[in-house]
Amino acid sequence: MGMDIDNDQIEIIQEFVTESQDMIEQLEPQIIELGQNSDPETMNAIFRLFHSMKGSAGFLEFDHITRVAHAAENLLDLIRNGEIELVPDHVTLLCASCDFAKDALEKVDSDYTDDSMSDAADEISAKLHDAIEVAKGGGEPAAEPVAAEAPPEPEPEPEAELEAPKEEAAPTPAPSSAPPAANGELPKLEITEEMRLSFVQEGNELLQNAEQGLLAWGENPEDTESIGDIFRQIHSFKGNCGFFGFSHMEELSHQMENILDRVKSGSKLAVENPADQLLTALDILQQGVNDISDGKDGVIETLEEQLKQLQLLVPPLLGEFLVEEGVEEKAVAAAVETQKKPVGEILVEKGQASNDQVDNALKKQQQKLNDAKKETKPAARTKTPAKRQDIRVDLGKLDQLINLIGELVIAENMLIHNPDLVGMELENFNKAGQHMSKLVRELQEMAMSIRMIPVSGLFRRMIRLVHDISVKAGKKVDLELIGEETEIDKTVIETITDPLVHLLRNSLDHGLETPDERVASGKGEKGTVRLQARHEEGEVWVTVKDDGRGLNREKILEKAISKGLIEGDGSDLTDKQIYNMIFMPGFSTAAAITDISGRGVGMDVVKRNLEKIKGKIDVSSTPGKGTRIDLRIPLTLAIIDGMLVRVGTTTCIVPTLSILEAFRPTMDQITITPEGDELARVRENFFPIIRLHEILDKEPDSKELPDGILIVLEYQGSRFCLFVDEIVGQQQTVIKGLSEFIGNVAGVSGCTILGDGGVSLILDVGSLVESAESKAQDVELF
Amino acid sequence: MADDNMLDNEDTQKDKYLTFHLAGEDYGIEIKYVIEIIGIQNITDVPDMPAFIRGVINLRGKVIPVMDVRARFDLPNREYDDRTCIIVVNIDGTEVGLVVDEVSEVADIPASSVEPPPKTGKSAGGQYIQGMGKIGKAVKILLDVHKLLFSDEMKALIAEQEEGV
Repeated sequence: MGMDIDNDQIEIIQEFVTESQDMIEQLEPQIIELGQNSDPETMNAIFRLFHSMKGSAGFLEFDHITRVAHAAENLLDLIRNGEIELVPDHVTLLCASCDFAKDALEKVDSDYTDDSMSDAADEISAKLHDAIEVAKGGGEPAAEPVAAEAPPEPEPEPEAELEAPKEEAAPTPAPSSAPPAANGELPKLEITEEMRLSFVQEGNELLQNAEQGLLAWGENPEDTESIGDIFRQIHSFKGNCGFFGFSHMEELSHQMENILDRVKSGSKLAVENPADQLLTALDILQQGVNDISDGKDGVIETLEEQLKQLQLLVPPLLGEFLVEEGVEEKAVAAAVETQKKPVGEILVEKGQASNDQVDNALKKQQQKLNDAKKETKPAARTKTPAKRQDIRVDLGKLDQLINLIGELVIAENMLIHNPDLVGMELENFNKAGQHMSKLVRELQEMAMSIRMIPVSGLFRRMIRLVHDISVKAGKKVDLELIGEETEIDKTVIETITDPLVHLLRNSLDHGLETPDERVASGKGEKGTVRLQARHEEGEVWVTVKDDGRGLNREKILEKAISKGLIEGDGSDLTDKQIYNMIFMPGFSTAAAITDISGRGVGMDVVKRNLEKIKGKIDVSSTPGKGTRIDLRIPLTLAIIDGMLVRVGTTTCIVPTLSILEAFRPTMDQITITPEGDELARVRENFFPIIRLHEILDKEPDSKELPDGILIVLEYQGSRFCLFVDEIVGQQQTVIKGLSEFIGNVAGVSGCTILGDGGVSLILDVGSLVESAESKAQDVELF
Repeated sequence: MADDNMLDNEDTQKDKYLTFHLAGEDYGIEIKYVIEIIGIQNITDVPDMPAFIRGVINLRGKVIPVMDVRARFDLPNREYDDRTCIIVVNIDGTEVGLVVDEVSEVADIPASSVEPPPKTGKSAGGQYIQGMGKIGKAVKILLDVHKLLFSDEMKALIAEQEEGV
């Protein structure tokens, strides 16, 4: 820069310095972070920093800064492209580069030149170069194939350029600024995923346009302009196919092009309007494009047939038949040349063919045409739908929509069960009401389905996990995935991801035995872990099942006692209660803490996450045979069928799904045990009675059982009777959560709004069963 | 434009308190938390709740819990009448109804007229006081809605509930 620095330049330099300093400050922590996890985002950010610094410094002719930044950039680029692996030394070097840059910037700030930094720049850039050389030398064999698969794209380049300060003043005068392509190797014309994608996109578009054109043309055959358009679409498509080497599709589109060309030039075809046949061919092409987007190679198996079909559209030439009839070929050819009149006439005129011959030939031509018409069947169009199209929607909006629909259901209830209507004969109103109910129901189902996604994505992620753990733990395992198509609410999938990971870890680490142990106990060497999703009892069940050694009741009990989690010797606890203890915080039965699990965190995460979505966990286990853990997840925001029951002035909803029957008991059906528990006899069975008024702490109409109703409820095989005053009626119930402020309430799964605007609690049959059971056994677990 | 509005809002809400009557005293809460005031309505009981959580109500399709401020402060119970109001407040997205004896007015109490809360804290309500607001001779007890709703005590209670499940 020398002496001739004017004020403008000083300003620019100062700006450069402050900006660069800011950037370095921001990025230093990120460089450190890079050492811990090489997140591509961070990597790019750091890359951009050096890149912009290089650009600006280059422009301002601070050569030493440029040199160092360039070297650092090279290193980062190689790391980013996976050609060399990041080692801690690199992080140190990058930090050193930052330090250098800071020093240099300070110098620049005071002297407006970085000349004094020359030695330091030499040193650090030499180090950076060395690092690259060393890493390349060592990391080459492993890195090479990666590089070949994904040719490096100098993508962030323009972006970085834009961010470079002062770039508006002049373009960066650094011709070397483009990061050197990987090893200088020219990328082969390989079809990358990206190219494939753009082919599919473009192909879809072209085919769609062609289809629209064809349909329009089919309606209005005189419209030759659209033919030209269709022709162009197909032609470009053919070109694309040819470029990508999808030869089948190329051939078919070529044939289509031929036909269209004929139509364009006004030649007759075997059928008056070949749009149908062309559409069929188009569908085949669409299918091909779909295949390609699925990663297949776009082979058309029915290519021959399709080509033949299209060939049939081209009318056979009269001349050919004339030759058949014995007319000289040459003459025909000559006639065709002078074809101003019909070929036949010319030939007759010239005396080269008799009238009979021509007539016969014409007949034959006609017949052939007819045959062709027959054979080119009006093509039953098996419409292949275009690839499903997704749009991304803000989840919040979806929630709002679903909430609104919930409101709609309530409003509908309010309308149809409006107290003002009681006792009126309203035939038409009722009809309209029914129609509306049906629509609302459909709307609601549709809205719910929007949020649902199949669990396959979640399950597939576990394949890798299981693989890694089994390798680490030295166990052989088959992972079975069942019910991948089961759909669960998206947020639920997110919530159960962690629990599943923990459960699988546990199954693999603690549940499954080592191959030797397995053989010794007469099992196959390979263990099986099954991950299954299915709909059951109005819930989604996700099951993790292994055929390992099972849970050890004694060990769990011992641990629970030693940790003071239970009182007494626990001999009165059921297996289920004991198994459930593994989900208590701080519980781990693993004798040794392994790398994978055993610290006792984890299983309580399972429980906590499940509680978040109001789910439940069931554990069952058979020693030596295996363990099975069911995650039972309620369908979110379900709108359920509910039975409205009343106790005193309070009403509650009981999910209809769990109701078996209801009856008014007689005194002789009731038995009272010495402990004071009431049992109701229903045919051959005795069921414990739960009084709803006791749960809600309300005053019922009557406490005498024969005055009220007993509702037999079933939940997972356990049955009990719920004592209520009266069953009021059945209704569609939108489940609303009780406010988070209140949290979970025992015995209540949520609430709903009734037709009259009042709030009614929805009973949680599951937890009622549990309380009935624990009451029956008079055991307090916690 | 939007920013201006925001500022305006911030400005208009500053130092403004909704005052209400409770057992012979005047209280105030910052107006920015208040969504609306509704008359007393049917409250659905929720079992196993602390006494001051009266239950839930339906606020135009939203189910919100209702807290009786008298019960919260261990003040003697009083029958609800037609002056009893529910002040619906929203704190960080949680909506809760507060049952009070009577809503009075929106008062302007500049920060300079607010005295720090007394340190005695004998009563249960003591810890929820944000300050003592003076309007002329009258004194309004300014409540810290946050603490009122989310005090540790409340959390413990909720935690207890959850344990019980």
